[in-house]
Amino acid sequence: MKIDRDEAKRIADLAHLEFDDPALERMAGEMTKILSYIDQLREVDVGGFEWTAAAESTPLRDDVPRPPVDRAAVAANAPAFSDDGHFIVPKVIGD
Amino acid sequence: MTDLLNLPWHEAKAQASGEELRAASLAAIDRLNPKLNAFLHVARNGGDGMPVAVKDNIVTTDMPTTCASRILGDFRSPFDATPVARLRANGCRIAGKTNLDEFAMGSSTEHSAFGPARNPWDPSRVPGGSSGGSAVAVAARMVPAALGSETGGSVRQPAALCGVVGLKPTYGRISRNGLVAFGSSVDQIGIITKTVRECADLLGMIAGHDPLDSTSAMNAVDDYTADLDAGVRGLRFGVVREAVAQLDGEVRANFDDALAVLRGGGAVIEEVSVPAIGYAIAIYYIIANAEASANLSRFDGIRYGHRSDRAKSLREVYFESRGEGFGDEVKRRIMLGTFALSSGYYDAYYGRAQAVRAKLRADFDAAFSRCDFLLTPTTPEPAFPIGAKTDDPLAMYLSDIFTAPANLVGIPAIAIPSGFSRDHLPLSLQIMSPHFAERALFRAANFFERETNYWREAPPA
Repeated sequence: MKIDRDEAKRIADLAHLEFDDPALERMAGEMTKILSYIDQLREVDVGGFEWTAAAESTPLRDDVPRPPVDRAAVAANAPAFSDDGHFIVPKVIGD
Repeated sequence: MTDLLNLPWHEAKAQASGEELRAASLAAIDRLNPKLNAFLHVARNGGDGMPVAVKDNIVTTDMPTTCASRILGDFRSPFDATPVARLRANGCRIAGKTNLDEFAMGSSTEHSAFGPARNPWDPSRVPGGSSGGSAVAVAARMVPAALGSETGGSVRQPAALCGVVGLKPTYGRISRNGLVAFGSSVDQIGIITKTVRECADLLGMIAGHDPLDSTSAMNAVDDYTADLDAGVRGLRFGVVREAVAQLDGEVRANFDDALAVLRGGGAVIEEVSVPAIGYAIAIYYIIANAEASANLSRFDGIRYGHRSDRAKSLREVYFESRGEGFGDEVKRRIMLGTFALSSGYYDAYYGRAQAVRAKLRADFDAAFSRCDFLLTPTTPEPAFPIGAKTDDPLAMYLSDIFTAPANLVGIPAIAIPSGFSRDHLPLSLQIMSPHFAERALFRAANFFERETNYWREAPPA
């Protein structure tokens, strides 16, 4: 599988990652090399081993209230937090 | 005092007070850590119990948790990880937080934002990774025990390269509440100690179901020390043919010597086939990275950690904060995982990797229908020089060729010192067992340890 610069850019956008041009070129080359190794999976006969995500279940605990995480500790970790208890982000709509 | 730290913890405790042992441990850290960079944070107080170092991707309230990444900033967890809370409840002292490859992504601890950890047997070489700091802390006798985490061998591989015991328990055996998630279908917390007995003691403290981790197993916690001295007579060990076929030189000779030790105890050794084992690294790098690309989306510069000063819009908060905060290896893995899950490639990569993984599991089931344990060396080579593989990600990935299968299948596996190379670097035997057979695993490993006693040699100070 060959990853070119444009494909690397498409994936970076999906992954919310920013690269400069030389870094993007380098990433495309490294991904191509790693995926060419991974492509050996194509040679395996996987008859009878099809996988579906729904096959495995996770037990759930009863939905009962438990003490919440301390708000002051959450606020202390936030890059920007308002006095009335909200995370602050740059303006999203209009100016 | 350093001699005290050479003893298994229960023997050290019988010879000195908790205060003396804490002082000895702190003195060893102060003397060695500037050279070896095993600890990112050191706790100076907190009682006189057994000091346990904790990998810095497991959260603690009394110290920062960095994941060896810039993106966590000065993050301080509002809660203790469940295994940390259980250690404290059992009287242990959290001695500090240890260095790792950023977000546990690596096999050498070179991908740390805070500089590489170094191998105490030869500081020009890597200690392995990603739990390199934990392995160094135990090998250099700074602490008797440490927690690490595994996704593809990140406890066993550094334990092997540093000459200590490393256990990856069964998937789900130890709660992951408070372990920063990497590959959720493979992640498991593991234990690093000098001796098998200390490892079994620690597993008994922290294993068990946790309502805060829905993937933690309901199975009752075993008495892990009960069979330590029961020997291996009549037990069946399978040598994995496909793995051993790749070996040569001193690693091969060392492995053959290990087989002779087990045979000497009356074990039955036979060759078994695990045909799909050679695909483990390819499967691993699709599945673990796909899961990582989703898990690491939470680091967005909004709720905690680093936010870029350059960001003017919400989109820039995401892209710039992540671009500045993540290191190259983490970005590479997020990119690979995002690719494997992206429209048009999902079936060909993620779906196929899961299918081959199912085949691998069937291969292991078949092998375990014939024998009690499976054997390989833990690593294909001893510790390599710092810098030797940093420019070749694929070569670095192949360091985990013998360890990754156990993660993909979910079985427990232990790395135990098996001697030294020509350059006097540690070599290691890996023993794997069926799901939840940790008690038997400790039995076999303790027999090997008792017969060989490699753990008694500490690295040069």
